[in-house]
Amino acid sequence: MIQKAVLLFMILLLPLVNVVAQKCELVLRGKVLHQENDQPIEAAYVWILETRTGAVTDQNGNFIIRELCPGTYTVTVQYLGHKEIRQTINLSGSTTNQTFKMEEESVALSGVEVHGHRESVQTTTAVTSLYGEALLQSRGESLGESLKRIAGVTTFSTGNTISKPVIHGMHSNRIMILNNGIRLEGQQWGAEHAPEIDPFLADEITVIKGAETVRFGPEAMGGVILVNPPSLPVSKKHSTEINLLGASNGRMGNFAASHSGGSGKIAGLGYRVQGSVKRAGNVQSPRYFQDNTGMSEYNFSGSIGYSSKKLGIEGYYSFFNTEIGILRDSHTGNLSDLVEIIANGEPFNKPDFTFQINNPRQVVAHHLAKVKAHYHLSPAYKLNFQYGFQLNERQEFDRRRGDLNARPSLDLQLYTNTLDLFLDHSRNSNWSGSLGINIIQQANSNVPGTGVTPLIPNYDMINGGVYLIEKYLKGPLEIEAGLRYDYRTVSAARFIGGELQEADLDYQNFSAFIGGLYQLSPYFSFSSNLGTAWRPPNVNELFSQGLHHGAAAVEIGDPDLNSEKSLKWVNSLEYEGKRGGVELTAYANQIREYIYLNPTGETFVSLRGTFNVYEYLQANALFYGLDLSGTYAFTDQLNGYFKGSIIRAKNTETQTYFPFIPSDRMDWGLAYSFGKETHRVTLSNVLVARQSREPEFDLAPAPPAYALFNLGYNLKVKIAENQLNVGIQANNLFNTEYKEYMNRFRYFSADMGRNILLKLNYQF
Amino acid sequence: MKNLRKLPLYLFAVLAMGFASCESENPEEENDGEVITDVTLNFQEVDASNNPVGSPVSFKASDPQGIEVGSSPTIQPVNITRGKRYIMTIEVFNSIENEDITEEILEEADEHQFFFLGPAFTNNIMTIAYADAGGIALGLRNLVTVSSSPGTNNTTMRVVLRHDLNKSFSGASNPNFENFVQAGGETDLDITFPVVIN
Repeated sequence: MIQKAVLLFMILLLPLVNVVAQKCELVLRGKVLHQENDQPIEAAYVWILETRTGAVTDQNGNFIIRELCPGTYTVTVQYLGHKEIRQTINLSGSTTNQTFKMEEESVALSGVEVHGHRESVQTTTAVTSLYGEALLQSRGESLGESLKRIAGVTTFSTGNTISKPVIHGMHSNRIMILNNGIRLEGQQWGAEHAPEIDPFLADEITVIKGAETVRFGPEAMGGVILVNPPSLPVSKKHSTEINLLGASNGRMGNFAASHSGGSGKIAGLGYRVQGSVKRAGNVQSPRYFQDNTGMSEYNFSGSIGYSSKKLGIEGYYSFFNTEIGILRDSHTGNLSDLVEIIANGEPFNKPDFTFQINNPRQVVAHHLAKVKAHYHLSPAYKLNFQYGFQLNERQEFDRRRGDLNARPSLDLQLYTNTLDLFLDHSRNSNWSGSLGINIIQQANSNVPGTGVTPLIPNYDMINGGVYLIEKYLKGPLEIEAGLRYDYRTVSAARFIGGELQEADLDYQNFSAFIGGLYQLSPYFSFSSNLGTAWRPPNVNELFSQGLHHGAAAVEIGDPDLNSEKSLKWVNSLEYEGKRGGVELTAYANQIREYIYLNPTGETFVSLRGTFNVYEYLQANALFYGLDLSGTYAFTDQLNGYFKGSIIRAKNTETQTYFPFIPSDRMDWGLAYSFGKETHRVTLSNVLVARQSREPEFDLAPAPPAYALFNLGYNLKVKIAENQLNVGIQANNLFNTEYKEYMNRFRYFSADMGRNILLKLNYQF
Repeated sequence: MKNLRKLPLYLFAVLAMGFASCESENPEEENDGEVITDVTLNFQEVDASNNPVGSPVSFKASDPQGIEVGSSPTIQPVNITRGKRYIMTIEVFNSIENEDITEEILEEADEHQFFFLGPAFTNNIMTIAYADAGGIALGLRNLVTVSSSPGTNNTTMRVVLRHDLNKSFSGASNPNFENFVQAGGETDLDITFPVVIN
């Protein structure tokens, strides 16, 4: 399979390599990095003396200069506080790829700005980031909701307050989320367990759509989400940002602030503090309020860092705390309750608006602390160290009798330690890579006193991995390959029916990837990445045994499950023209022994009534699909955009479809700017098809297709040196009643109705 | 920076602390406080002025392991006599925790209610009326009348206990209310007893 893929890759490239334009259509493409830490430099100036043309680097340090004739040129690279680079470059092929590393002039020089510790994602896989205005527009939404702005990313949600990101049809433990470089370890196995992360801490959220197990460890099968805070300042410079948001639906209020500054006394010392609070009441569907769907959240993060020419060190702590009400009607006692409410199609309880959160509800707290350091052993070698500690506390409260209401039915404490040690090298501008080890240690405990037999056992897990990644960059071509070995051991224990049940399991795996990026022509680039990934079965898949409270389902795990192994091939073709760009991503993900929850068709009878019985099974699966996105500037004022995605997922053994796979969807819109771009009006339309590829068993048929319209207005005002952004958005403008297939509560309630948001953002 | 020389030491200390704190607790046995393992229907025959006649008879549905895969409940058939009137009381018990749940239900009478359904009532073989103290609609105590001409010897009676419902929902005051789910809440008990009429 790998050989075939590589061959195909070569065949695809061959004709293109031969088509070398002799006219003035050559491209100089590259990256500008800080020499001391390989971090991208934004806004560096790249200038070609002979042609008097140039470019400014973007956020990732990338630049492109087009329409060059073959010949020899003198290129200069300038950035404040750094030594100017002057280099002679001979352009002959279609595209030349060049990395420039800039050296600081002097650390002691006041006003010098060295970027902090943001590592740029250097991968040949399809990567999309949310930052700047797009991120500003997503403020007030959960992480999952924000990421819907990226083609190929949808959500798997439980009502309107809990949403998990889905990348190319995969979610929960099949994707990975990194909070400032540390893999987020919560109880992600649960469908109703949202990622424990505050989107306000990020100034950039990046989605990698490839299988990135080699770089990030097991489970990164469908993709990786990186939530990155801004880099810490290293000079005496203070900045503050305040966000104030309000929404009509649920009467949501959200306040967030962050402040960062640098020390005047110690050059290179900087800090940031950030926090947010959010409160919302019952969500309103077009015809009724959803009972008990309020939420409250408060989050905090702080970091401090020091950076010098050779050494960089950073300490970071983040705290996430949320309380979420769960739709009252979704909590059913037995199968006939469930059947009745599904037949009704909407909740039986239709209360008034309230901020009050009752049982059933979740209370989740997540602490993350990390220390990170790097040291430059020599100009070519950099040693990195990162240690993270996480404590995840999850309590779920059900509707119970009497005093039991005050006791959680599920009370879990999950401790995770992660340790990364890796050596980066960049011998010359062509070769770079890293060699590292990664250790994850985890301990999960059920806090006694719930009065309910725990759904998952107590367990200890240790995962050790070693990896090597190498990258070669020359001319228009960038090639990357990596290899990793992991070993994992899990020991679990619990009481079932008065008997102690213990299990010791271990798993090991090799994973590998190869990828490349090729600049086909001045406007086209192509990337391809083929990677293997694996995921050991989760504790719930191994050990579930009994009633899933509230879901009217009995779930039976299988301790003999094997690891899932996948092979994902992602290809991406990107066009970037003067008036716009298009990006097409096509992928196929073949998974051996995909683990899924299968309805057995049997029911289980108890004094409480009957329940459906589900069991965890394994089968081979194939996921494939397309993501397409693009922008076009019709005039200087009028811009259009579109994005869409198609996913197909099949059990290749039974030729049946898996449940909860996103249906075909697209989103397009127009933006009109006026008044020197200070005003902007946006109209967008979301079209979602009915999921016609349904599994053989579902509690209810897939809901019909729907179309939503959103209208927005943005205003940018400069107040002295400060920036004020005002946004008004009307989501679901026409208050359309709809149900989303990927929302588990579609069985019980229509989705959210019209929501009008007011967003203020002030930067000073 | 002098301090930086000691930095690896500090880092190591933090690390050691983190890794040491991290072992899962020994599991503890959890007694299911929620579970109902025994439901007993006590039938006391009464005369026209509701005075007891003879001694009561009890019929029991039990599932000693609660909601646990692999076991199914045992349900005794209810034996009653045609043309007679009974006071039927219900006892609910959790044998795992050794706890009488009847009292809890009585204490939370505003959140609980029994409904009695099935052919025994739809075919007019039996009629039932709530007879709880204080005239509330709860169903722990009921007056059951057996038809003198039931037309059959065998029927079934479905006993449903609802929790967290809207008791003032239109129609919910009827013990035979078929659409009880519309009053909201969830089911705690749903047992179908065979009924033998002598």
